[in-house]
Amino acid sequence: MSSLIRKIMVYIDGTEQSVTAAQYAICLAAATGADLFACYVVNTRAVEDLLKARIFLADEQLEYEHDMEADAERYLNYVNELGLKKGVPVTKIQSKGSVHKEIIDAINANDVDLLVIGEVSHIRSRRDEFYDEAERAMRSAACSVLIVKDADRVWEMYESLG
Amino acid sequence: MSLIDLVSEKVVKIPLQSNDKPDVLRELVQILKDAGEIADYDTVLKAVQDREDKLSTGLQAGIAVPHAKTSAVSSLKLALGIAPQGIDFDSMDGLPTKLFFLLIASPDRSGPHVEALAEIAKLARSQAFCNALVNARSAGEVVELIQGD
Repeated sequence: MSSLIRKIMVYIDGTEQSVTAAQYAICLAAATGADLFACYVVNTRAVEDLLKARIFLADEQLEYEHDMEADAERYLNYVNELGLKKGVPVTKIQSKGSVHKEIIDAINANDVDLLVIGEVSHIRSRRDEFYDEAERAMRSAACSVLIVKDADRVWEMYESLG
Repeated sequence: MSLIDLVSEKVVKIPLQSNDKPDVLRELVQILKDAGEIADYDTVLKAVQDREDKLSTGLQAGIAVPHAKTSAVSSLKLALGIAPQGIDFDSMDGLPTKLFFLLIASPDRSGPHVEALAEIAKLARSQAFCNALVNARSAGEVVELIQGD
């Protein structure tokens, strides 16, 4: 039988849930020997929409994009450090655009066979407007998707990793 | 970070008591203060006023989205004020504003801020939903409407 999982990609968006997902993905990569990618997408599509809606000023658009790129770098570096502490190399993927499309593109470009994402909101609205980008990626991804829950248990699992 | 993760009865006020724009901003920030979401009222208010001074966040169809970044908060904060009577907020279409979504973000957490603003922008496109919010009778009803229950 070929390896169960060869390439794992964890989606990072700056939330605590996504950091928990990263810890889980590191444990999983350590256990399976799979390559681990961490993907952060700067949501420039949303920023452009806010400019069109006149919620943002032009200089705000640039400022927020710059801030978000810095966020992306910081969180990817953090996940990289989490991986290094456990001897798991992490390949960082930073892109910008429409989040769910960029996630799908990264999955396809890197031949990822498992997408790991953090827990989605507990309460989901019936309104179509309320779906989030990770959820859209989850529905669109061609590969299997793992949703990570129970931050305390994941933290213990990560901490106990040799 | 979804809007429905941020909204709760304690950050919703209906009806607002203010009659003009400066008072609305103060009342919205006070909602956060009263809810225990912020400690430094003055810093948050100044950040919101500074942004508002550049260009009004009063949009069309009775919606305003005052927002700011400040290190006075460590995570994204939302206050929702509803003024069924409408208040002059220098809106794009010149009409009175009835729904006020105040968003305050930490400077190093821009992603969730942008996503929440984008979600509000989408909401604003649904006139029926906005009308339902304006006609809500209590903060609890507003929360239920946003959560879709």
